[in-house]
Amino acid sequence: MAGLEFSGFAALLSIVLILLPLLSFIIIIFGKKGGGGNLALANISIAFILSIYLVSLIWNKAPVHYQLNWFLIGEIQFTAGVLLNNLSLLMISLVSGISVLVHIYSRSYMKNDPNIHRYWAYLGLFCFSMLALSISDNLLLIYLFWELVGFSSFLLIGFWFTKHEASQAAKKAFVMNRIGDIGFLLGIMIIFSQFHTLDISILFGEDGLFNASVIKDNLWIFGTQQISEIWLTIAGIGFFMGAMAKSAQFPLHTWLPDAMEGPTSVSSLIHAATMVAAGVFLIARVYPVFDPFVLNMMVFIGAITAFMAATIALTQNNIKRILAYSTISQLGFMVMAMGIGAYSQSIFHLTTHAFFKCLLFLAAGSIIHQLHHYRDKIGLDFDYQDIRMMGGLRKSMPLTFWAMCLASAALIGLPFTSAYLSKDAIIVSAFEWAENRNALSQILPYLMVLTSWLTVFYISRLLFKVFFVKSNLLSLEQVQEIKDPSKKMTYVLVVLAFFCLFLVFSVNPFSSENSWIMNVFPSFNIQKNELFHSIIPIILTFGTLVLIVLSYSLYVKRDNFNGFGKGIFYRFSKREWYLNELYSLVFIANVEKLSKISYWFDQKVIDALVLKSAFLVRLLSLISSWIDKNLIDGLVNATGSLAKLIGRLAKKTQSGKLQQYLTTMLLLLISFFILTYFL
Amino acid sequence: MLSFLIFLPLIAALLILILPNRIQNQFKYITLGVSLIQFILSLFIYFNFNSSPINAGINKESQFQWVEKLSWIRLDLGTIGKLEIDYFLGIDGISMPFLILSALVTFVATLASWEIKTKLKAYFSLFLLLNTAVIGVFCALDFFLFYIFYELMLLPLYFLIGIWGGVKREYAAIKFFLYTLFGSVFMLLVIIGLYFSVSDPVNGNHTFNMILMMDPANYADGSIFSALADNNLFGMSARLLAFIVLFIAFSIKVPIVPLHTWLPDAHVEAPTPVSIILAGLLLKVGGYGIIRICFSIFPDAAMQSAWWIGLIGVISILYGALNALAQTDLKRLIAYSSVSHMGFVLLGIASSTSEGISGAMLQMISHGALSAMLFFLVGMIYERVHDREIANFSGLAEIMPQFTAFVMIAFFASLGLPGFSAFMAEAFSLIGAFNSEQVNGLLPRWMAVLASVGILLGAAYFLWTLQRMFFGPTQLKGGDDWLSKLKDVNMREKIALVPLAILALALGIFPSLLFDKMNASILAFVQLILN
Repeated sequence: MAGLEFSGFAALLSIVLILLPLLSFIIIIFGKKGGGGNLALANISIAFILSIYLVSLIWNKAPVHYQLNWFLIGEIQFTAGVLLNNLSLLMISLVSGISVLVHIYSRSYMKNDPNIHRYWAYLGLFCFSMLALSISDNLLLIYLFWELVGFSSFLLIGFWFTKHEASQAAKKAFVMNRIGDIGFLLGIMIIFSQFHTLDISILFGEDGLFNASVIKDNLWIFGTQQISEIWLTIAGIGFFMGAMAKSAQFPLHTWLPDAMEGPTSVSSLIHAATMVAAGVFLIARVYPVFDPFVLNMMVFIGAITAFMAATIALTQNNIKRILAYSTISQLGFMVMAMGIGAYSQSIFHLTTHAFFKCLLFLAAGSIIHQLHHYRDKIGLDFDYQDIRMMGGLRKSMPLTFWAMCLASAALIGLPFTSAYLSKDAIIVSAFEWAENRNALSQILPYLMVLTSWLTVFYISRLLFKVFFVKSNLLSLEQVQEIKDPSKKMTYVLVVLAFFCLFLVFSVNPFSSENSWIMNVFPSFNIQKNELFHSIIPIILTFGTLVLIVLSYSLYVKRDNFNGFGKGIFYRFSKREWYLNELYSLVFIANVEKLSKISYWFDQKVIDALVLKSAFLVRLLSLISSWIDKNLIDGLVNATGSLAKLIGRLAKKTQSGKLQQYLTTMLLLLISFFILTYFL
Repeated sequence: MLSFLIFLPLIAALLILILPNRIQNQFKYITLGVSLIQFILSLFIYFNFNSSPINAGINKESQFQWVEKLSWIRLDLGTIGKLEIDYFLGIDGISMPFLILSALVTFVATLASWEIKTKLKAYFSLFLLLNTAVIGVFCALDFFLFYIFYELMLLPLYFLIGIWGGVKREYAAIKFFLYTLFGSVFMLLVIIGLYFSVSDPVNGNHTFNMILMMDPANYADGSIFSALADNNLFGMSARLLAFIVLFIAFSIKVPIVPLHTWLPDAHVEAPTPVSIILAGLLLKVGGYGIIRICFSIFPDAAMQSAWWIGLIGVISILYGALNALAQTDLKRLIAYSSVSHMGFVLLGIASSTSEGISGAMLQMISHGALSAMLFFLVGMIYERVHDREIANFSGLAEIMPQFTAFVMIAFFASLGLPGFSAFMAEAFSLIGAFNSEQVNGLLPRWMAVLASVGILLGAAYFLWTLQRMFFGPTQLKGGDDWLSKLKDVNMREKIALVPLAILALALGIFPSLLFDKMNASILAFVQLILN
């Protein structure tokens, strides 16, 4: 009984936790214009404290699972409940923690926006759905919050909806996510059809139903249920599609760079640290579903995504776009890690990435914020998100500069940073995984090494252009007038910077093996190879340092170095692999055409047929009316006329003259006798 | 109780006819009062509705609730037997939800009737007559009575569209009228055939009792629709033919592709309240008829045709969505979206699984509320500036924030955002369709997979519209004149919109509000059709 009481208590706490931000949403959206900041911050802070408390209660202990009946269909009872295990605890504390920081930051960043109450409300809705997603105990609930997360992201991307680009980007994000959602829903249908339940712990637990199902003779069998094996693969692909859309994996990633139209604080929270990680989270939640085929697919899609995004980030000029592609690239790392079975490494990287990417965005936001204000002050018109317009900000914004440096160091995985532990762990696992596989698989780890060096290059380019090189636009004096933003914003940067250090995650700066996150999650099917663990980090770090020096000499020493010419590779990268053009050509244009054709068909064929048949009926009625008038009526009239004619003839005989009657009678009599006697 | 619900509007209509034209501006309040009373009564029925398995209804007369049965017409026809027509009303889990929906939609439509300015007496009496007919259809358990109510719906609708409609109103009205009449004329033949096939086991009379028609034992040996005799008619099974005829009659109302072309025209030309009734209730009569009559009376033929019905559902979903994507008139867009959403109903019913049918039922209620909301919203714009071309508006969010909030609720709820009823409905229709292959082998799995693409297209056309009309910088074709006319939502409009939004939200979060009430009936229904 004590156990039940405890789980009830913990579940109640977690429900209060998720309802707090929802409460902010409801109160603020109906509240007065311009307010809500305090309430939103208070609620999310309490939520954060609760999540830490829950971690202290349950971390690394038996998971808490608590559920209530939701509804009944046929004979199947659907439940709704919370599942608090290490994964969900990590997610809720990560999400609420970063949310608190972003809330504090936003108070200054969004200060003068007239519609700020909407901003707070939407943030509340987002936090609610993201937190609820993390603790939901069944697939239907996860799907529900999964889409709500997408919806709040839609609202926040389109926050400045009067801007055409913003509303366009919001729509794109939602629709592309919907593509993934269809896959997710398909996965749910298959699982439900096979197991008649959607409860995660019943399905995927240690002795869950999923493990009880077997594959035999191309059939996927569970109890009396059997279904072709292909559906297991399809289910895996379906769930992975959902993850691909949410975590911006190739080819469903193009919404994320566009999503940068939203406020930078939103990009930081949603499109860098938390929501985009939901895809990886989903993969982790339903991990047993994926069969080897889907896992391999995950490996390759993750690797391609990581590589592609890194190459695109090399040539972008919008600071947020560079960071967005960097996010995509890092998500590619995580997805690939999931594919090779490096489950714990992937979760670890998810965590470290959340902090340093959030920091990168918030630091970028500080720069954008200050430049924007400066632009308004001097009345000049320039794109304040373009790194070519920045430059030399090192002296004028020292704090931002150092924060950004630290975050970048973490991104490229320099020693003593958090991602040195997590990213290298992934690359090492990739080498271990590839060891006994075919040639194609063996290329993969090298591709990851290359990608991680590309990362060095693009982030160095950003840093040098923003902080070192002389500005193309502003004079030295003007640049000096730009200052670090207000204390409230910079404090947040400092806190996040702290979380970019190794110490938070592991005492040993060179080994991830003792990290507290790695220890509580499993890894699968990877043969350990000590050699890789020692050599690879050294090679990586060495290459990284060389590249930093190289790019320093390229961008800072040489004045006005502008990339590598305008060759085909440059254009390919600059135009983001032409994927947007490709999609609009192949999909959007064709769907539009198809919809026009079907409307044409509707009007010219189906409706025309209806009208034709109506016309035929009318024609028929005209013909019959003609017949009626001319033939039938004619016959009637003809009968009438005949009678009239006869009558007229007969009338002539009735003249009333006696002689005529006598003559006629005589003639008749004579005729009668002639006919009788002489013929 | 049910009679009161049905005839209350008729009494009010007569009252309006008697009252002098002087007070014609008060007629709308009378109508509103009637719909409110209906709403309260239907809620009373809802709360007192017994949802235990022994009150499942469907094919057991004793299990129906709120039954009223009076013998109505008894005519001795000599050798043919005795004509037996009953005034027979009753509800079960399948019909009860529609009573609430009818009352709610009528309430909203009445509030939308504020825009009607001419011939108020005729308008409101026809409006109330329509209301009587709709509720009658959902309560009638005697096929003859059902048919009377069913045909009675057409008459007021024809005039409501034809007199108070838009520019091409007469064309639209006659098109609507002929289309539906086409369906119901053949239906009459089937009804007569059924009448002569079925006899009341108690007294041996031929009967129009629908529930007796559901039991194969009540069919006379060798009668035309007897399941045992399996007669042929025009070279095909008579029961299958009858099923198809009834199905076409009801599916014109649903509507299915390719029998849907009356719908866009009728909607575009109809005044707002009539559009609301059309989409909110009339389409549901089709779905209700398919469940209550087609599937229940001819389950054998239904099982034979399930594959085709599922296919029609899938085609309607995709084809309707594609057509919606191509529209430039907001009202026409919503009309086509109805075609798409009603496709899920068909798919769910065809699956013959409890998930699928629950999904279909929820989809009908959900779509009833949401389409009423959508048409109300379109009506609000049209009433203000007499235009609803999507391209003529941009950035409405800036000048009408509350209106935009309602539009967003309606759009997102319609495109199946979780938390709203349409999501649960569509998800379970799809789950049911997917499960069908394993449970009863009726529908192949690819139908569910293909239909789920409709969800994507739904997001595309709604969000595209949202982006074009509501977001971006404010630009209106009518310039400052429109700007001054486009006032935000007023109190009356809020009163109409809020209950619909609440219903959609409540059913999305607590689908058990509906599922619990109808689960027993749905199980009984599934059992009936699969045996």
